[in-house]
Amino acid sequence: MHSRNKHIEIRHHFLREHISNGTCKIKFIDTDLQLADLLTKPLAKDRFNFLLNELGIINVNCLLQ
Amino acid sequence: MDKCKSISTPFSTSYHLDHDVAGNPVDETKYKGLIGSLLYLTASIPDIMFVVCMCARFQSAPKESHFNAAKRILKYLQGTKDVGLWYPGNVSLSLTGYSDSDVAGYKIDRKSTSGTSHLLGSSLISWQCKKQSCVALFIAEAEYIATGSCCAQTLWLRQQLNDFGILLNKIPILCDNTSAISLTKKSHYAFKK
Repeated sequence: MHSRNKHIEIRHHFLREHISNGTCKIKFIDTDLQLADLLTKPLAKDRFNFLLNELGIINVNCLLQ
Repeated sequence: MDKCKSISTPFSTSYHLDHDVAGNPVDETKYKGLIGSLLYLTASIPDIMFVVCMCARFQSAPKESHFNAAKRILKYLQGTKDVGLWYPGNVSLSLTGYSDSDVAGYKIDRKSTSGTSHLLGSSLISWQCKKQSCVALFIAEAEYIATGSCCAQTLWLRQQLNDFGILLNKIPILCDNTSAISLTKKSHYAFKK
C-alpha cells in the first residue's frame, strides 16, 4: 500500500469508530442545502448570498428594520 | 483602497488561480502583509475564508493576478462593512456539522479542498477550509476525508459543550455524497487495493 493511503486507512477507521460508538452519525443532505459549500469552491452571487443567509451572516441594517 | 467600489462576491467564478509564471511579479512583502491581515479577518468573516486560503497559497512568488484576486477581497469587504455573524438568544443547543469537499480544485497538485462548518442551533460557531494532504482519486474519497476532519472538529466541540454541562450524543454530520456515507457503514474495506 502507498504510504499516503495509510492516512486514509487511519481516517477511515477513526470516523467509523466514532459512528459505531454513537458519538456522531452521518446523514445525507442535498447539495443545495450543504452549508459547507461556501468554504470549498467559488460560487455565483445568488448561491453565495443564499448560503450566507442560511449561516446567519446578515446585514445589521436588516435586523434594525 | 479605502474609496474603492464594492463588489458582490469576494471571488470570480470565471478563472482559477495558478502559479502564473509569466505574470508580472509584485512586492512579496506587501502581498504577505495583505494576506496576513486577511487571515486575521477570517476569524470573524467566514465568507472570505475560501478565497483568502486560496490566495495564501501563492505567497512565495506572488504575481499581479494573485494581487488582483486579493484586492477583489478588499473590494468585497468594502461593501460588507455592516454584515456579520448574528447570534440570536434562546435557541436550542443542538450541534450539527456540515462537511463538503471539491474535487481536485487546486489545479497545480490536484489536491482537493475540505470545507467544514458547525452550527449550534442556527448559529455558525466553527468553520474550516483546508487543502487536503493527500490526492483523492475519486469524489467519495475527497468527501470522506472532509467528513473525517469534520468528525474531529465535532469531537472537540462536543468536549467543550460537555465541560459546560451539555452532553450531546449522535451529533449529526451532514455530507452530500452517498458513496462516502456508505463507506462509513459497510464492513468491507473499500480503499484496500
